[in-house]
Amino acid sequence: MQGLTIDFARQTDFVLALLPEIVLSVWGMLVLMVDVFQKGSRTGPSWRGLGWFTLVGLVLAAAANWWLGGLSEANLAGSIALDSFRIFSNFIFLASGAFFVLIADRYLDEERMLLGEIYALIIFATVGMMAFAGTRDLMIMFIALELMSVCVYVLTAANRRDPRGAEGGLKYFLLGAFASAFFLFGIALVYGATGTVNLAEIAATIGVDGIGASPLLLPAIALIAVGFAFKVSAVPFHMWTPDAYEGAPVPVTTFMAVGVKSAAFAAFVRVFLTAFPGVYDSWDVLAIWLAILTMVGANLTALVQGDVKRMLAYSSVAHAGYLLVGLAAANVLGAASVLFYLVVYVFMTAGSFAVLMVVAGQGEARTGLEWFSGLGWRAPVLGAAMTLFLLSLAGFPLTGGFVGKVFILRAAIDQGLIGLAVALVLASLISYYYYLRVAWYMWFREPDGEPLSLTVSPGTRVAIAAAAIGVLLLGIFPGVLLDAAERSAAALMHLPTMLGSN
Amino acid sequence: MLESIGYPGWALTALIVVPLIGMVAVLAGDEARAKHTALGFTLVNALLSLPLWFGFNAASGGMQFAVNAPWIPGWGIWYRLGVDGISVLLVLLLTMLMPLAVLGSYRYITRRERAFYANMLLLETGVVGAFMALDMFLFFVFFELMLVPMYFIIGIWGGERRVYAAIKFFLFTGVGSLLMLVGILYLFFKHRALTGDASFAYFDLLRVPLTFTEQYWLFGGFALAFLIKLPVFPFHTWLPDAHVEAPTPGSVLLASVLLKLGGYGFLRFLLPLFPHAATHPTIVGILMFLGIMGIIYCAWVAAVQPDAKKLIAYTSVSHMGFVVLGIFALTIQGAQGAMIVMLSHGLSTGAMFLLLGMLYERRHTRLIADFGGLAAVAPLMATAFIITAFASIGLPGTSGFIGEFLALLGTFQTHPWVAIIAATGVIFAAYYMLPMVQRIWFNRLDHPENERLPDLSRREIAVLAPLIAGMIWMGVYPKPFLDRTEQTLVQVLETVEIRTSPGMAALNVLPPAPQAADPGAAVQ
Amino acid sequence: MNEFHPTLLWAIPLLPLLGCLINMVAAFGAPERKTIPTLVGPSVVGIAFVIAVVNFVGMLGADLHAPVVERYFQWIAVGSLQIDAALQLDQLSIVMTLIITGVGFLIHVFSIGYMKADPGYARYFSYLNLFVFFMLVLVLGSSYPLMFVGWEGVGLCSYLLIGFWFKDREKADAGKKAFIVNRIGDVGFLIAMFMLFSNLGTLDFIPIFETAPATFAYGGAVVTAITLFFFIGAVGKSAQIPLYVWLPDAMAGPTPVSALIHAATMVTAGVYLVARSSVLFALAPVSQITVAGIGALTALFAATIGLVQTDIKKVLAYSTVSQLGYMFIGVGVGAFAAGIFHLMTHAFFKALLFLGSGAVIHAMHEALHHTHSHADAQDMRNMGGLKKYMPVTWVTMWIGTLAIAGIWPFAGFFSKDEIIWMAAAHAVGPFETWFRVVWVIALIAALLTAFYMTRLMVMTFHGENRTGERERGYLREVPPVMWVPLVVLAVLSVVGGWINVPEAIGHMPILGWIPHSEWLHEWLHPLTETADGIMLQNAGELAEQAPLGGGAGMWAAISFALATAVVVITASTLGRRRFLPADQAETPTGFLGVLYNKWYVDEIYDAIVVRPVLALSRFFARYIDRGVIDGLANGAGYASRAFGWVNSRVQTGLVNGYAFMIVLGALLLLAFMLG
Repeated sequence: MQGLTIDFARQTDFVLALLPEIVLSVWGMLVLMVDVFQKGSRTGPSWRGLGWFTLVGLVLAAAANWWLGGLSEANLAGSIALDSFRIFSNFIFLASGAFFVLIADRYLDEERMLLGEIYALIIFATVGMMAFAGTRDLMIMFIALELMSVCVYVLTAANRRDPRGAEGGLKYFLLGAFASAFFLFGIALVYGATGTVNLAEIAATIGVDGIGASPLLLPAIALIAVGFAFKVSAVPFHMWTPDAYEGAPVPVTTFMAVGVKSAAFAAFVRVFLTAFPGVYDSWDVLAIWLAILTMVGANLTALVQGDVKRMLAYSSVAHAGYLLVGLAAANVLGAASVLFYLVVYVFMTAGSFAVLMVVAGQGEARTGLEWFSGLGWRAPVLGAAMTLFLLSLAGFPLTGGFVGKVFILRAAIDQGLIGLAVALVLASLISYYYYLRVAWYMWFREPDGEPLSLTVSPGTRVAIAAAAIGVLLLGIFPGVLLDAAERSAAALMHLPTMLGSN
Repeated sequence: MLESIGYPGWALTALIVVPLIGMVAVLAGDEARAKHTALGFTLVNALLSLPLWFGFNAASGGMQFAVNAPWIPGWGIWYRLGVDGISVLLVLLLTMLMPLAVLGSYRYITRRERAFYANMLLLETGVVGAFMALDMFLFFVFFELMLVPMYFIIGIWGGERRVYAAIKFFLFTGVGSLLMLVGILYLFFKHRALTGDASFAYFDLLRVPLTFTEQYWLFGGFALAFLIKLPVFPFHTWLPDAHVEAPTPGSVLLASVLLKLGGYGFLRFLLPLFPHAATHPTIVGILMFLGIMGIIYCAWVAAVQPDAKKLIAYTSVSHMGFVVLGIFALTIQGAQGAMIVMLSHGLSTGAMFLLLGMLYERRHTRLIADFGGLAAVAPLMATAFIITAFASIGLPGTSGFIGEFLALLGTFQTHPWVAIIAATGVIFAAYYMLPMVQRIWFNRLDHPENERLPDLSRREIAVLAPLIAGMIWMGVYPKPFLDRTEQTLVQVLETVEIRTSPGMAALNVLPPAPQAADPGAAVQ
Repeated sequence: MNEFHPTLLWAIPLLPLLGCLINMVAAFGAPERKTIPTLVGPSVVGIAFVIAVVNFVGMLGADLHAPVVERYFQWIAVGSLQIDAALQLDQLSIVMTLIITGVGFLIHVFSIGYMKADPGYARYFSYLNLFVFFMLVLVLGSSYPLMFVGWEGVGLCSYLLIGFWFKDREKADAGKKAFIVNRIGDVGFLIAMFMLFSNLGTLDFIPIFETAPATFAYGGAVVTAITLFFFIGAVGKSAQIPLYVWLPDAMAGPTPVSALIHAATMVTAGVYLVARSSVLFALAPVSQITVAGIGALTALFAATIGLVQTDIKKVLAYSTVSQLGYMFIGVGVGAFAAGIFHLMTHAFFKALLFLGSGAVIHAMHEALHHTHSHADAQDMRNMGGLKKYMPVTWVTMWIGTLAIAGIWPFAGFFSKDEIIWMAAAHAVGPFETWFRVVWVIALIAALLTAFYMTRLMVMTFHGENRTGERERGYLREVPPVMWVPLVVLAVLSVVGGWINVPEAIGHMPILGWIPHSEWLHEWLHPLTETADGIMLQNAGELAEQAPLGGGAGMWAAISFALATAVVVITASTLGRRRFLPADQAETPTGFLGVLYNKWYVDEIYDAIVVRPVLALSRFFARYIDRGVIDGLANGAGYASRAFGWVNSRVQTGLVNGYAFMIVLGALLLLAFMLG
């Protein structure tokens, strides 16, 4: 359906190019209004179906996003990208939002939170993500970043009765603002160095081999990298992550872990691979060391966590490390592997957090490792699912996690980063220990103490099932998605895909 | 006749799928019938694999019963299976052992039976797949896949320190295989860079020319995986723990089949893929040294173990030392010897663990000191044990002798001194085995609780008889086994020779493709 | 001279195997029933003997030069290594076969009586049959690997039979010791085979002996190494210095077992091995003198120990070791026929002596059993004057004694004298002087033999009885099933030597009554001619004169005279001496004490070999394996956990700390970019 061509010379075309974002924003306000109108008073209970209502919005946005796939753009420097990279990543963000809705189903009113606001915030955050990863303009990118972040700051503290949430939210907010400052300063320097904030134009001025790079550029890149590193929570910018993740309600944590991180990575890749490829020789060291520090540091710290929620927080940091390897490879395969891994990552992380939420139960009292004792025997399906997610996180064959890691490794080796590849496998070897430790609590121990009641809401069921199926499908039949990811990446870098050569 | 039912086409796939179906069936069925279901499916698999023995064309060293189907074509990952002389006997060993292992666990496994047998069947799938995979990606998938069920088997049904043992097993074997994964991907990248084709096919990567440096590094990556798996001193310490803690059937499969993946890897990957590294005097020297250490050092360590199961675990390492020697001697006798050692060890050590398990079921101890004089109360068991023991220490007339004799003879051709030193292992085998035999079965029966020890039951006889028969058969008439492996091994050694010959020293050309298989079994 | 075809050759070994299986089934099926073992056990060996005789007669008819090989199936075929399951019938193997099956049959019969009260009756016979099977494989196998099968197989049976009464710790230990010590030798055998294969590309006897002379230089390093390694095997199996220690302990087994395995057959396998490899040894003079030297030393050394032992079986055990030494002198000096000759006669009289001692022990046991006395039934100090109670045993054992002591016209005289003479006659070539020493030692050991055997007879059968008042009443002669074999063996011990009367003796007065016939020499000639040729060619003609002058006949006469003298003197002196029962006798001291304690060799070995190995093993197990290797593995684990712990400490929860980290990180990234 190679239909119409978008040309931003025509103002109206912005509407088309931003259709998913627009649909979603509108829906967000709709959600707010529905909420307000149906509960009348401030204190009245919200409509239970609000979640499913939100889901519809996400689906509509997804449809719009799909429709975007048919469009083509007149000039490849337009401030709104229409490449398949954006479309691909948009699906990831929408999926994260969907997972939140599913997991949060019933959790929110059990924890007596304000549905309307939260769902709206989720939607707006998602919009922010889509814009963040979908624009070619650093200024828009910054605005999107803030839109996303602010929503998530609030969401982190969404449970007003939980001091941990408030603390986490505050920390996240302060540090986030701090990091954004670096990011903004970086943008300013880039502008100073290149006289533009458009990625394509920046790349043009730098030139293929960085001839046109002014001395200002390198610090600029470093500062921008700080901003991204913070958002993807790479070591040593990860310190907020455990606290925020632990403080936030599990569904929000999930959303942060999968959504925010994905968006940050998508943008990270877009900026560094479309704007700065010319000076790759200067920033590859940065990416490589960020990756190594993150993988090793996070995995080692995760080793000693006795609290599953915190352990998963560190694990999400570790996965940022793996993804950074893909970025460091900085080739089409690298970008593609990041995309593919993000998809897998969304499934397995959302799945594991969902199980954690079920186990943690009312007031998230039971996030400790010991609460998983004998879980496998008490609730076999839940246990099996969790085991699957853990194996996938650890990168075991026949799970998406394995294919994803292989993809990243392949990219690194194609780039000649053998050492980095070895670092990655050794790091994931460390991760075996703590992932398997949960497995051994679930299966090697007999259920002890009083049989705690595990209530799994329909939405959570769907979420876990979907996640499990996704992890397995991506592990056994990843072909289609692998190709899609590679095409998107190729499109991003305006390169002919290597596919079909065999 | 086999062709008429298209057997060659689906045989190998069936061997992989049937256990999976069995797993589902076991999980779906009820607890009480789990063991019977599992036994049924393993028996079916054993029957399905039988034609491999008869239908195998010993005259061809190539791949047979080969299967090819696209899996992830975009990456050149195909579902490629096939068996040749190296793998066919190991596959049969597994399929034949499975029913015995299951039958052997009837009384040992008393809780969580469904889960247990499901894991057993999954394990069979993993191992059998790893032996047959001709696609490096596929191979790795199976190679790793088998760790998971083993992890649970040790961890859930194991002894007191089972968690430690399970994790140790997992991490040790994990570190090796992960580095191998990097190696595989490097080969893949290299092949693609040279040919433009993405392919994980074993026979494609086999033709990737590598510089010496690359060979040494990749050899290191692969070798570590297999050295740990085999295991070879000093990478062996996971084995005693795993064996001691694992339940009988776990130990049986671990010792009898899983370890063999190490030797299999040497023959299938190390020698053909990195011939220069595999023949480099220093590297060979190191490996030979490790082999000797395994043979002698581990024999000595075994001799002083108070725990019978641990003792046998160490003897496994000692036996595997002969495998290393035999393979890296690069003589046909050595290679054949290594194969027979692997098969023979599969039978004798399997039987040994089963017997120790039976003792454990009766007395709930594995300490040698808790027994003594049992031959008086359980003569049948004693006989079975003693036959197995002597087979394991290589008494002529049993499988053990053929293997060790050939391995040492082959080693002597190229490394006389190594063979001479290793030959002393024959003494130390007696030194670790006979005292245990004596302290369990002979001497005065001084533990009253042993006086009522029941002798072998019918089921137990049914489990042990085939194994013992196998040991004697292989010892008296090993020809059928040797015939089936000979051609392939000859080809492997020839490949190594050709590729390391001065003519091929210039590595900028793709060496000729090794003759893949007989018609109809074309691989890639 | 007609063409010879072996008849039922395969059945000779297979019959005993069949018997083993039947008895095994019986042992599990109906352990208490004795009929099946009684019928099957001896008869299978008997039939095998008959078949052997048939073949022997056939071979006599056809003058056979090349060995006859019957191939049944390919056993091990890998590359150029081709080993068939094949039996080789030739002059040597048939002689061995006859000895094994013949003597074996008699001992089986004897066992019926000896073991009748034993609960393990069936098991016993199945082991004994199995042993005969392996022994026959050993001698009939047509290649070294096949021989090795029998070689280790008999080791297994020896292990099982020594430890037959496994409930007794010492007995089980003895079996274990025997097997392990034997395995030390077996390693030598293995290595020799490897060397043979890598040099000649085959392990079959016929091609090896055909190609060896051309391939190996006389006295070359390779062939010397090969033969020495083979000899290590022989030393282990035939209980020579330094590996003889297992044989005396092996007496823990039932006495018929000692007779069959540890006297007549298995322990002579080493001699057979050297004789079989005559060609190789002939090519390696160093090995020859080594063999002869070790043999001589062992002959003397064991004899000295035998002088003072009081356990009747121990005396016989050391005498066996000593006699095996003689055989090695024989095959060592290159007189292979002589070695085999002594092997044969020794099989007769030593089996006789052991069975005799068995009869004595049996009788003593019965007697002591009646009164529930716990006195040692094997200690000669508790015997004495038994001739009155068991005349047949007495007479037959005297015959055996005279035979082993080398008294004319008994078998031992001819065989031993020939060996001694051959040592002198071979005192030519490179190691002339050494052979002379061997010869002297052999002479001395002969006299010691005469002494300790006479002592044994005197202490057992003469003087007054020391068994005890009440026991004495129950001392009885053993039943016919046991004494008939004694008689048969006694006859053989007399006439056995007459088949090989050397010319020198044949033409002497008195001694010449037995006509000169060097039958065995001629019979074995096809096998030894190659070796003889090599030695003749390289070492030169045999000496006519003994080192001190005088020829074969003269020295035969001298040794005969000396032996007789020793017997007479010992008998008369010891006959007058009064021995004390074991419980009253005090253990000898001084040098006699050293001899009594077997030169403390066991203790020395224990100190310098057994304990160190055990200690080292423990050290490895505890410190290297658990400590170092596992330590490193676990250490890595702990280290990473510690590192992780440190990291998690940095996670203070304080925002300013986090901000600080971000700044640090930013500086780091800037450094990466700009540096």
